[in-house]
Amino acid sequence: MANIHPAGVFDTTYEEDMSVDRTARDKLWKNLAFVALLVVPLLSVSGPLGLGLISDQYVGLIARIAIFVIAVQGLNILVGYTGQISLGHAAFMAIGAYGSAILARELGFTFWTALPVSALLTGVIGLFFGLPSLRVKGFYLAMATLAAQFIIPWVLRYPLEDLTGGTRPLNVPAPLIGPFGSYADDLIDDTTPLVFQAGDPYLVDVISLELTKVDGAHPVIELHNPGGDIVPAGDFNMTVFRDAGGKITGFSYIATKPGEYAITATVEDGAAFRARARRGKALSFATETAMYYIIVPLSVLLMFLARNIARTRTGRAFISVRDNDLAAELLGINVFGYKLRAFFLSAVYAGIAGCLLAYERNSLALDMFRLDISIEMLAMLIIGGAGYPLGALFGVTFIRVLQEAAIPALRPRLLEILPELFPFIEVVNITSAINPVLFGGALIVFLVLEPRGIAHRWEVLKVAWKIRPYAY
Amino acid sequence: MEEFFNRYKKELTWLFYAIATALVLLFLREQLADKKASRIVQTLISGILVGGIYGLVALGIVVINKASGVFNFAHGWMMVVGGMIFWSFFAVAEISVPGAALLSTATMFMVMTAVSVRSLLEPRNLLIAAGGVLALTILMTVGGIELKWLHAIVGAFAGAILIGLVVERFTIRPLIGQPIFTAVLMTLAIAEVLHGVTQIAWGTVELNLPIFVNPETNRRFSVIRLDGLKDMLGGVTIIRVELVIAFVLAIVAFVGFIAFFRYTSVGLAMRATSEDQQLAQSVGLRVRVILAITWAVAAILASIAGVLQGGAVGLSLNISFVALRVFPAVLLGGLESIGGAFIGGIIIGIVEQFGTFLNSSQQVGTDLAPYVVLMLVLVVRPDGLFGEKRIERI
Repeated sequence: MANIHPAGVFDTTYEEDMSVDRTARDKLWKNLAFVALLVVPLLSVSGPLGLGLISDQYVGLIARIAIFVIAVQGLNILVGYTGQISLGHAAFMAIGAYGSAILARELGFTFWTALPVSALLTGVIGLFFGLPSLRVKGFYLAMATLAAQFIIPWVLRYPLEDLTGGTRPLNVPAPLIGPFGSYADDLIDDTTPLVFQAGDPYLVDVISLELTKVDGAHPVIELHNPGGDIVPAGDFNMTVFRDAGGKITGFSYIATKPGEYAITATVEDGAAFRARARRGKALSFATETAMYYIIVPLSVLLMFLARNIARTRTGRAFISVRDNDLAAELLGINVFGYKLRAFFLSAVYAGIAGCLLAYERNSLALDMFRLDISIEMLAMLIIGGAGYPLGALFGVTFIRVLQEAAIPALRPRLLEILPELFPFIEVVNITSAINPVLFGGALIVFLVLEPRGIAHRWEVLKVAWKIRPYAY
Repeated sequence: MEEFFNRYKKELTWLFYAIATALVLLFLREQLADKKASRIVQTLISGILVGGIYGLVALGIVVINKASGVFNFAHGWMMVVGGMIFWSFFAVAEISVPGAALLSTATMFMVMTAVSVRSLLEPRNLLIAAGGVLALTILMTVGGIELKWLHAIVGAFAGAILIGLVVERFTIRPLIGQPIFTAVLMTLAIAEVLHGVTQIAWGTVELNLPIFVNPETNRRFSVIRLDGLKDMLGGVTIIRVELVIAFVLAIVAFVGFIAFFRYTSVGLAMRATSEDQQLAQSVGLRVRVILAITWAVAAILASIAGVLQGGAVGLSLNISFVALRVFPAVLLGGLESIGGAFIGGIIIGIVEQFGTFLNSSQQVGTDLAPYVVLMLVLVVRPDGLFGEKRIERI
């Protein structure tokens, strides 16, 4: 797309030609849009200011859109810029999601370390499934990634069942910053309950307990929440530490509910123990509003990075591979190397998106990463516009708004009309089947009428606006 | 070193294949060591029987790919829809006349307008269309429950032709001249739409399609027991009769379609078109019509496979996954090879059955083994066993 500027603005240097924001007005609009995005949760009902101007539903919607924008932007690097098809993107998201969850649950990683590690892991696995691109392309490659879409969930489901829980949902702890020091440090060596006040949705207390010495049988240690109930080991705010023999050596719990917490211990006769209980304040991202401030800036940053990659040598190599790989090879471009780079980058994006999805939902299930989701993401990309920096944003927003706003509005009418027209249809079946029909239909319409997607229309509109009042 | 490698490239490749085969055989030998010979034979036989249907599914994908260069990801859902339409005529006691009339009208409309919508303006064509609608409707509804086979077969054929033509006309034809990537996405979109439509119309519950029943007792056939081989194999080998019938029918359909491609003028025209579209056009073939016919033929193949699979294992939305397992078979046999489709189908069937046999708790056979084969084929021999080597020009 040629850069069209308002009348009177000319590119006189290479830097000007390549710049992201050519005029001050471009920059202003972008920054305003970013600030507006950041303000949204502050105005929501459950936001810290409690203004109630925007429904909570929209905060969640924007966060989910932002997560999928990251994933689809990864797909855009692979499909839009490099011209390779991937039908296994949801499986790569699954690696990011399960990888980060397992790192946090089993190895005690925090969100901040689990995010890059799981993203890199996903990238490496993406490289592996990109290897067939050495020999095959086109829909042969689609086949290879289709294999990834089946092999990866299978591995997560059966051989790694101990870690992932198989088909059962897996709980994920909330991200924290902190705890900042420990403001209380109690030594326990008897069965008197340790009672304290804690809890706040944003500035939470992290209660942790570590057994330092055990004589005889292991003590049974329980944590009681403000309702008086015992916190189960599977609670997603609870992380249990075990030694090599599988015996519990301690736990860490994030108290989000305000109230009185108690730690109790039951010891068998003749046994003794010594433990250290700690409490510390930490900044919690357990609420949707708080998670928003991780997801949205990260999403914007990754969008910007993808936009920048397209301007570098690597990005130009990607595009030349897409346009004609044989010609690119003749120009001295290492085609296979750049294809692998695209696979790696795309998988890293998918891994980040998967990780964010895990921590936003606090719960994971393999069902969230089916083949349908891969196809859905491809559809989002095509509808938005493959190969355009903003394509992912447009596509995801279009599909999500369609799903979360249009379908609920349409459903009651469809439920009325369809059974009347076709008496053999059962109402139960309609609700779950609207989704595939609707976005399959949307994809068909876009492929036939506007294969270049919404982003192309947007570019045309932008040019028309910039050169107004002239036609060209 | 490099010179040596280049000089003996062919021999080295074969050596690599030989070593790989030997390793696989060694692995299998260890795995199968404690299994009974009868069970192994049984697994092999049921693998071949299952593979027959897979071959039929693969044929449908190959036919479309040969003719138009589109790899049809929607084939599995075409199977489901075909099977469901068959069920609607077969298992439902009262067939509604307006419904049958609607189906026949839509089918005849799509058939008569295959060349152009204007052809309906001619009185003669209108007459043919009306006659066709009347004949189809009568065939679908005449008589009672005793003619259900006729109703179901006519209905399923009409439905399959309708689906094939609608898909081709409204989604594939507008894409002529677009890159291959667009066509792949389009078939995925069709798959999604067919998925939703099937689910709305027939639901997710497994339907009973009693086509492989003993006509005398109206029950399922009892299994075949190979008692004669008991001493040799150390146990009784059991073969399911439904699978045998489905396999035989699949073979019959396969042979029938090969004959169709070889001996009928339409089949010859389809093969000519798949060789070279421009050349076919220059000798006076209507390429557009032939592509439409190809999609209709593929939809019929999908319907037959859907009915056979539905009758053998139960009809539900899950049989669309069969097509996903068939993709490796298509690639293994080679995208352009009709015989290769059949052999690929059989191989995948055997692999799947052995996977289930060796590790039944983790669904290795259905969820993992075919895709591992797929990866291997892509890395080792992307053109498949019988496919054409592609030469690229800039």
